[in-house]
Amino acid sequence: MISVEDRLEIEAFLFKEARLADESRYSEWEALVDDDMHYWVPLRESQDPDSDQVSLLNDNRTRLATRIRQLNTGVRHAQLPPSRMRRSIANIEIEELGADEYAVGANVVLYEFRRQATKELEVWPARVEYKLRRKDGELKMFRKHIFLLNSEGSVRGLSFII
Amino acid sequence: MIKQTDTSKSPRYDELITDARVHSSLYTDEKVFEDELNRIFRMGWVFICHDSEIPTAGDFVRRNVGREPVFAIRSRDDEISVIVNRCAHRGNIICQEDKGNRKALVCQYHGWAYDTKGALVDVPYPGGFKGDFSCHGLERLPLVDSYQGFVFASFNENAPPLLDHLGRATELIDRAVEMSPVGRIRLSGGWVQHQLNCNWKMLPENDTDGYHVNFVHPSFAQAIRSNYDEAVLDDEESLKSLAKDWGNGHTELFFSPSYTRPLEWFGCAEDRHPAYTKAMLDAYGEQKGGRILRDGPPHAVIFPNLFLGEMNIVRFEPVAPGVCLHVHTPMYLEGVEDDVNRRILRQSEGALGPTAFLLADDCVIAERAQSALQGKGGWLDLSRGAEREVVEDDGVISSHLTDETPNRGFWRHYRRIMQPGSPTSDVGAVA
Repeated sequence: MISVEDRLEIEAFLFKEARLADESRYSEWEALVDDDMHYWVPLRESQDPDSDQVSLLNDNRTRLATRIRQLNTGVRHAQLPPSRMRRSIANIEIEELGADEYAVGANVVLYEFRRQATKELEVWPARVEYKLRRKDGELKMFRKHIFLLNSEGSVRGLSFII
Repeated sequence: MIKQTDTSKSPRYDELITDARVHSSLYTDEKVFEDELNRIFRMGWVFICHDSEIPTAGDFVRRNVGREPVFAIRSRDDEISVIVNRCAHRGNIICQEDKGNRKALVCQYHGWAYDTKGALVDVPYPGGFKGDFSCHGLERLPLVDSYQGFVFASFNENAPPLLDHLGRATELIDRAVEMSPVGRIRLSGGWVQHQLNCNWKMLPENDTDGYHVNFVHPSFAQAIRSNYDEAVLDDEESLKSLAKDWGNGHTELFFSPSYTRPLEWFGCAEDRHPAYTKAMLDAYGEQKGGRILRDGPPHAVIFPNLFLGEMNIVRFEPVAPGVCLHVHTPMYLEGVEDDVNRRILRQSEGALGPTAFLLADDCVIAERAQSALQGKGGWLDLSRGAEREVVEDDGVISSHLTDETPNRGFWRHYRRIMQPGSPTSDVGAVA
């Protein structure tokens, strides 16, 4: 059992992470990420990230830095202008992994208004699994795995931070 | 959804398509879309799968041919059948999963059972069945053929042979499989289905358009140092890559003249994969092996629905006039060490699909184009570089990378298919 204080701190971190992603504040979002970050959107729930199976996105820290750099160029058409987004995080379950490390699971629904092209509202329901650690007194994220409900079906452009 | 019983009259395609321009209704009109499903996707050859996807008897994969649900399945005698995914009894789906293995094909609705070639073998409660088993098999596509493991099929038993359709473009497929020292590729990585709300023809057009790259992908160019810097992003005078029309609607962006050292196309140092380099030189000899290692894979469209996207294989799927799928998988090589295929996988995820550094931008640009073509529409220009094209010795038309030579080749073939009796010849064609 984790303490109420730890739970509140972790929830506050998740809500901030969600808000920075919603508002396309790319560099501020990246500042929440640790050096060994794995950011992953697989095709299947049972997928092994190290297998030969293709993912929608499978970023180590270096590739994630490239992704943020591309979004920050200001000429990434896919997010020009950035999608308007709001996401809700629910059913948060937290497990302590050891010294100042936590595994968090949650259900997330993201609403996206695609104003850069078709001006439609897209809904992205997902299971999200995070791993966080306390480092130099503050929480950092070193894993975010997003299991989209429709990942094996047809998927629209997903160029924002999910 | 589109009505199946559309009786409106087809447009005159030879009036909507010239060598200099095409009309926007070709991207938006439902009658045009219906004609395409019939004349291109039913009457012609369509890429279905690669035989490495169904390596053992009973293996199957689901696909769509236009709007027709089908599956490809391997039988014990190694024959691959392409079968309409619909029970001959009451029309239910036979194979619900995207892929799997079946010893027999049993409908979940009333238990009718078929063998892996679609022949009816059992009907439950046979007392009430007075039909003839031989008349109640599943519908098989009459033509199935393959080239280098790429399986194509047609609903039209009178379609010309597959090799006539491929024409010279067999060379493009050869170049893809010859990236492997044993001449074999493997499509085992799974397929990503990227939905674009645009007309399907924008996919083959854009994938072999060498003109847009500087304008659609500047964020890629600024964020990532890559082999595309020399191959497509240079200024007009410096670009050495070429745009090509191979005939029969097959088109290519030929990047190889831009590459000066081995593995430049792979985005790494030439000594990065020594075992692969050695295997290629051993397999093909110093001259040809060295040339393949320098030239890299093809970037080419095989009409109408296959894209040899360098180290990716892509299928184009029309869904509706304004909706299509760009479906990709990494093109793994047989006979190489795992780190080569691992690099192919990571590059595939970087280039293609909904989150990719490249295709996500193409997607938005295409969807904007689709919006712009609504209503009465207008003409789209297709004339760039027509006066500086060169016909090479083998008949392939070649021009500056940024010229609309591939798109003219696509549309010339499209017009020939869509307007029967059209007086225009398919200039680039072999057949």
